[in-house]
Amino acid sequence: MTEALMITLTGIAWPAALAIAWIAGELGYRWFSLPRISSYGIAGFFMAASQGGFLADPSGSAVAQLADFAFALILFELGYRINLRWLQANPWLGVTSLAEAAGTFIAVFLLAQAFSMPMMPALLLAALAMSTSPAALLRVANELKSSGQVTERMLHLSAFNCVLAVIVFRIIIGYWMLADSGSVFLGIWNSVVVLVASAGLGALFGIATPGFLRSIGNVDKNATVTFALAALLLTAVSHAFKFSPILAALAFGLVSRHRRVVLSQAHRNFGALGDLLTVLLFVFVTASLEWKQVILGIELALPVVLVRLAVKTIATTAFARLGGITWRKGALTGLAMMPMSVFVILLLEQARHLEIGALEQVSGVAAIALLLEVLGPILTQRALIWAKETHHTEEH
Amino acid sequence: MALEAFHPSDSLTMGVELELQLVNPTDFDLAASASDMLHLLGRAPFPGDVKPEITESMIEISTDVHTRHDAMLAQLRQIRDTLVAAGDRLNVGLCGGGTHPFQRWFDRRIFSTPRFIEISGLYGYLAKQFTVFGQHVHIGCASADEGLYLLHALNRYLPHFIALSASSPFSQGVDTLFDSARLNSVFAFPLSGRAPFTLKWSDFEQDYFSKMENTGVVKSMKDFYWDIRPKPEYGTIELRVCDTPLTVERAAALAAYLQALCHMLLERNDPPPAEDDYLVYNYNRFQACRFGLDGMLVHPKTSEKLSLREDILATLRRLEPHAAALGSQAALDELHREVAYEGNHATFLRQQFAEEGGAQGMVDAAVRVFRSC
Repeated sequence: MTEALMITLTGIAWPAALAIAWIAGELGYRWFSLPRISSYGIAGFFMAASQGGFLADPSGSAVAQLADFAFALILFELGYRINLRWLQANPWLGVTSLAEAAGTFIAVFLLAQAFSMPMMPALLLAALAMSTSPAALLRVANELKSSGQVTERMLHLSAFNCVLAVIVFRIIIGYWMLADSGSVFLGIWNSVVVLVASAGLGALFGIATPGFLRSIGNVDKNATVTFALAALLLTAVSHAFKFSPILAALAFGLVSRHRRVVLSQAHRNFGALGDLLTVLLFVFVTASLEWKQVILGIELALPVVLVRLAVKTIATTAFARLGGITWRKGALTGLAMMPMSVFVILLLEQARHLEIGALEQVSGVAAIALLLEVLGPILTQRALIWAKETHHTEEH
Repeated sequence: MALEAFHPSDSLTMGVELELQLVNPTDFDLAASASDMLHLLGRAPFPGDVKPEITESMIEISTDVHTRHDAMLAQLRQIRDTLVAAGDRLNVGLCGGGTHPFQRWFDRRIFSTPRFIEISGLYGYLAKQFTVFGQHVHIGCASADEGLYLLHALNRYLPHFIALSASSPFSQGVDTLFDSARLNSVFAFPLSGRAPFTLKWSDFEQDYFSKMENTGVVKSMKDFYWDIRPKPEYGTIELRVCDTPLTVERAAALAAYLQALCHMLLERNDPPPAEDDYLVYNYNRFQACRFGLDGMLVHPKTSEKLSLREDILATLRRLEPHAAALGSQAALDELHREVAYEGNHATFLRQQFAEEGGAQGMVDAAVRVFRSC
């Protein structure tokens, strides 16, 4: 009897969790002006089985694939907002990007070494720390309807450092496999081939989808659904061939943009579909964290978070004037780039099939993810408000 | 505060102000980037003047005082190139056009200065809906009375400027069927429309301005949104009906057209302006807004029906000697091409909408035309 009841309850666990998280998001927003995604994350963490909640660890399940799809939609949108010509018109943006990404990598690696973390996990942790999670940035920016240089720059820098993080992460894994198994094939396959193939696949979708849309006409009405379906397909194909869905989705957005079939403003966030999947994505991310790991890693997590914040802010501030903005907006850009949870967790999740021991040893990730899941979006939100790039500023 | 004294200036000097759109090059919606642009522009000397407007998605530029069309055009081109370069560094697109075709007025952010916040508080949604972009042309007047004379003598030519500059066919996402939808937004303001008919500055001051001031409705000339208004502190009259054209070439040509018209009117060969001229004023104005160059006018003196296009072509011919005297034939040639062959910028925008399959493509075209023409 109890068993039957448990099975029934398990079946409704996820929908119930989404509903609870969504309510938490609305209340947190209304009462404390918390970014909604922070509340989703907190709710997800406490509902997870490892914290005594009712959500089983979702890693590897169908929910994980849905989360990947949700993230692919966000990355597509991000890629779509990236203007590569801007790099040409303002080279200091590229310099800022390289400086903040490389600086973070070096600083976090040295810090991990100082905490006597072994070489491989330290390298992987450093690679992960380079990235800024575009999911949190885009959601907060869209929630606040922000517009201005901090908004534009944080999104561009986030896209660039994600690409850099995936590349470095893959190269380290490739090197690891080479060293571990001695197989040149495995090493190259898991780094260079995966990177090139993922980007190529995304680019292919980026050419084919707008072409298809144009040929059937009526671009305005069909665009959102078509791009969402293409992103779903792309995620599935990337998974099937064990490519990087992250890189593929980003390339898809980027190439689509430069093929110029323009999504209208109404489709930002992919509308209600995007909103729903975002709840799932952020609950998924923190539901996969374990309290014990968080406690274990907290000692390293705090310094990593602080060093990462410092390096990114120093880099964005140092090149602010040269890049055409004020010192203040430069510093705020760095501050806004704090979130990293979703990107990191999904990157790890997607590398799970590689069965690399080193991934398990990247201690501290759980704690960093949880810390930044809550703090990251709040900092992004504050930075945008302080930069006066939101609607909130003039209302009081 | 009494009405400011009219500071006479050199007759027929001219200056142009343009309100420009700042757009996001990703989805071509308006971008709240005025503060960022002004910060960057503030670092180097600007070839003219640049300042914020009521919402964060527009900036206003103005030229120096000019006597010649070619010098004004040269300065406008310099201003444009400086703006475009700054926009490129900040990933911001710039364009002309009297309205943004699909911006949603409730998304606009008011530029935070006390005056703008006060206006926004007073007019509510009107202030945000007032995210429209116009060209203002100033013509210098040797005396206040000369200014009032020109202001009223121009009433018959006002539709020309509306039709020639019209570049706001779309508003809030739909084709309004107007060539200049922008002026409909301006009309919503209580103190818009025409100036009262007085030809003497002293009458204007005593019979109108001080009475209005006593009602408490207005404090200064700034509170009037008339189609043409005197600007005593500059010693000019200011024509305010033009949409911002898509190119600075068109903007300079419109200024030169007004200058040549005033040159002709000051010869006082036309019958003098009269209050009754205004009987057909709003009708003619509507025709120009709605149909652009295809509108039909009623002549205020003869009540004759005229094609707006024919009337402009005839006026261009009459202005030839005046343009020759002022050195602005090139400007009249540009307008002649527009009227006789190409159509106005509203027509261009509608073509782009059809070809590009949407409003975003239309804004994209406007951005390209602004930078490369």
